[in-house]
Amino acid sequence: SLAGIMLLEVFLVLGTVIIYFLFSKKKEETLPFKEGWWGKGQKPDIAEDATIRPFKVETTEEELSDLFRRLDQARFTEPLENSCFHYGINSVYLRKVVSYWKNQFNWKKQVEVLNKYPQFKTKIQGIDIHFVHVKPPRLPEGQSAKPLLMVHGWPGSFYEFYKIIPLLTDPASHGLSDEHIFEVICPSIPGYGFSEAPHKKDFNSVSAASVFYELMLRLGFNEFYAQGGDWGWLICTNLAQIAPSHMKGLHLNLATVTKVGLTQVLSILLGRHLPGLFGFQEEDVRRMFPFLEKGLYRILLESGYAHIQATKPDTVGCGLNDSPVGLAAYILEKFSSWTDLEFQNLEDGGLERKFNLDDLLTNIMIYWVSGCIVSSMRFYKENLQKGIGTQKHEKLTVQVPTGIASFPNEIMHTPQAWAQKKYTNIVSFHFMPRGGHFAALEEPELLAKDILQFVGKVEKEQLWKKK
Amino acid sequence: QTILCLLRSFEYSQKNAVLIPVAALGVGGMLVYWLRSRRKIETIEMGDGWWGSGERPLRVKEDESIRPFKIVTSDKEIEDLHRRLDKARYTPHVEGAAFHYGFNSSYLKKVVAYWRNQFDWCKQVEVLNKYPHFHTTIEGIDIHFIHVKPPYVPHGRAVQPLLMVHGWPGSFYEFYKIIPLLTEPARHGLNEGDVVFEVICPSIPGYGFSEAPHQQGFDSIATARIFHKLMNRLGFKEYYLQGGDWGSRVTTNMAQMLPQSVRGLHLNLVFVTKQGLGRLISIMLGAYVPWLVGLSREDARRVYPFMQKNFFDLMRESGYLHIQATKPDTAGCGLNDSPVGLAAYILEKFSTWTDKSFLHKDDGGLESKYTLDELLTNVMIYWVTSSIVSSMRYYKENFSKDPNLNAHSSVRVPTGIAAFPQEIVHTPLTWAKDVYKNIITYTYMPRGGHFAAFEEPKLLAQDIMQFVRKVEQL
Repeated sequence: SLAGIMLLEVFLVLGTVIIYFLFSKKKEETLPFKEGWWGKGQKPDIAEDATIRPFKVETTEEELSDLFRRLDQARFTEPLENSCFHYGINSVYLRKVVSYWKNQFNWKKQVEVLNKYPQFKTKIQGIDIHFVHVKPPRLPEGQSAKPLLMVHGWPGSFYEFYKIIPLLTDPASHGLSDEHIFEVICPSIPGYGFSEAPHKKDFNSVSAASVFYELMLRLGFNEFYAQGGDWGWLICTNLAQIAPSHMKGLHLNLATVTKVGLTQVLSILLGRHLPGLFGFQEEDVRRMFPFLEKGLYRILLESGYAHIQATKPDTVGCGLNDSPVGLAAYILEKFSSWTDLEFQNLEDGGLERKFNLDDLLTNIMIYWVSGCIVSSMRFYKENLQKGIGTQKHEKLTVQVPTGIASFPNEIMHTPQAWAQKKYTNIVSFHFMPRGGHFAALEEPELLAKDILQFVGKVEKEQLWKKK
Repeated sequence: QTILCLLRSFEYSQKNAVLIPVAALGVGGMLVYWLRSRRKIETIEMGDGWWGSGERPLRVKEDESIRPFKIVTSDKEIEDLHRRLDKARYTPHVEGAAFHYGFNSSYLKKVVAYWRNQFDWCKQVEVLNKYPHFHTTIEGIDIHFIHVKPPYVPHGRAVQPLLMVHGWPGSFYEFYKIIPLLTEPARHGLNEGDVVFEVICPSIPGYGFSEAPHQQGFDSIATARIFHKLMNRLGFKEYYLQGGDWGSRVTTNMAQMLPQSVRGLHLNLVFVTKQGLGRLISIMLGAYVPWLVGLSREDARRVYPFMQKNFFDLMRESGYLHIQATKPDTAGCGLNDSPVGLAAYILEKFSTWTDKSFLHKDDGGLESKYTLDELLTNVMIYWVTSSIVSSMRYYKENFSKDPNLNAHSSVRVPTGIAAFPQEIVHTPLTWAKDVYKNIITYTYMPRGGHFAAFEEPKLLAQDIMQFVRKVEQL
């Protein structure tokens, strides 16, 4: 009988271990929806006003003359000799931009450009959420428009999508296949542009994802696609973790991995010589190594802004909300370096090679007229203050079908081998031939094509049902 | 076998005759090496530089005149400032922010209201001009400095020249309260023996009224060399040095560069960056047995919890350093155009670096240790000289060459260290000895933070004097 008891014990232990492994493999945790109230003061007892109100961007003479006065009295500092963009923005080039801004840039005309797409505001969790909602101008017989949520980042805005929207809502008119047509929703992250800034602490990417989830439900969408880069990457990822049953597919042009494990460390050390062992392709190796130079040093040299915004946003943003030239300098520097790091060797930062000044200044004007630079920076603190890799959502995976467009001039390259540890259902991963961080604005056609082929794959095999 | 026999015979008969001279040679050699390495004073090379615009003129000798200088202002300057203050655009802070998100905008509005309505810049310029200012051209740029001599020297007392170097975001003005304590100690109740100073406070090139370098590469070593040249030009062969923040690095470089000119070095901040397994182990052990690794109880109190105080706190407070060391022209651009932005950026440091607990206060505790007049005077120096961008470039120039800010050679001149409790990071004596080999005094100051000369001038003056007294007695 003693032997019998012992055998029973062994079986029990073995059984528990087996069951644990079986269940832990199949256990798919979702991220809980984050409730919140971000308005001023106490949350009122009455039910929230859930109406969707049309919105138009407006400007006034006073706003313009105040801007011009500030541009006129701007105080510049001469750059060091031969410094190009190595010390940050070059003030000689900045003067040219300011001169254009004063004399040729037409904000009234740009406001009309902004208003060409229908915009709305609606109150969610106590704050007004601004969004653009563009429906297709025409739909072929029997086809329905697929809802696509596109989320911007910093220092961008909903305006970054203005070039890609027509390619997605009206592909046939732009030489693209019209097998899939989208209705596009581009909200502004709370604290950015025309979305109200949260009045309470702790509004992070999960909060934004929860707010956008409510928005999509309020608009009547039960199933949708989501696309994002920069903060949009994180918010859409969180959305996929909160509401996987509603998300048909997730498309990203940035896929940073924040949980660094032993495999990653080993792949950094040995990946150059044993790429196959770690699942690296030739292009991965080309983009990632030498790692110190292309990974660590690059991040250190380019992340000063993130460090100060994640710790003292109200300080660093203060002067930028008061000096339009300072604001432009701060934002334009990113549009230079993050489009191509080599642009730092150019006296003009290469800005007008990929963008035109009208587009760049329109984006900056959105930050200026809404006075949102400080609240936009607070998002860094709310997301990063506890450190990278420590939050719950960073430990959870994403099972929603995912498509990744990997642009070559992104600050740091994430190989598919790393991405698939987090995004367990990667349907497409493509190395894009050119382009940097601001993909939608810089290479709208490339990005649109990748989104279309990804959606094509998902729809063809109805992959969202197979999760 | 023959060889073995030879060796054996050699062994028994010649052993002593050979071994002793060999041993003597060996010991002698080691002795000579040791003696020479002791006397060898490691110095850093002085080098040379040119920081003016364009090419260095070849045959023209530099103008070495020392020209008196007075700070001036104008109605136009003040009206422009007032206009900008009136039009300032603020962002409401989140509820309960205090100073955790940076400078609190509600309190900022109060500071700006004072600045606009009560602060009198004309009067402050007179205050600034009460000490004699000068300009002189060195290595192509105009160096500004104040030079204060004791008004009255008792018979038989020696006057020690003392060079005091400021840091960021400070200026020569930080020393205005301590100067009288050093030039006329008796009058201020400091009878610290025979010590009286004449004080020279230069502005680091790129700061305040010193011209900013036009060329890349201007770091603390270039600064050290220029300040040696300045003291030489003023006729001093030997002098004392005092510094905190960048001033600590510059004066340390000066002591490493020309030790024979430095009678003594006094610091209120010590940068010691030696890492390594030994240091790591002593940090870990020090939490439990501080005495074992040379840490005093006060050291332990100030250094631990280690991760919190030395890593997390430092990470929280070093965002400015990261962006200034990489993109100074971007970071400073808006600050040179918005006086309110400039004030917020600078005064945030005067809050947090004076006392870390000020983060929890809605007003950042600023007026508990300073007056708005003195804080705004320092900000005005950055504003009227448009020097914020060039002041930030100093971070890039120093950190690019040497991200660890390593002291490549040791400091052998007599050194005195005043360790203030609210300094951003505490360096115990044992760690300071890594670099400073000749520490004469090390004092745990009872109170005070980073801006020691500004906040606790009397405490600092007393420590400088007792250090100098000890050095003079040697």
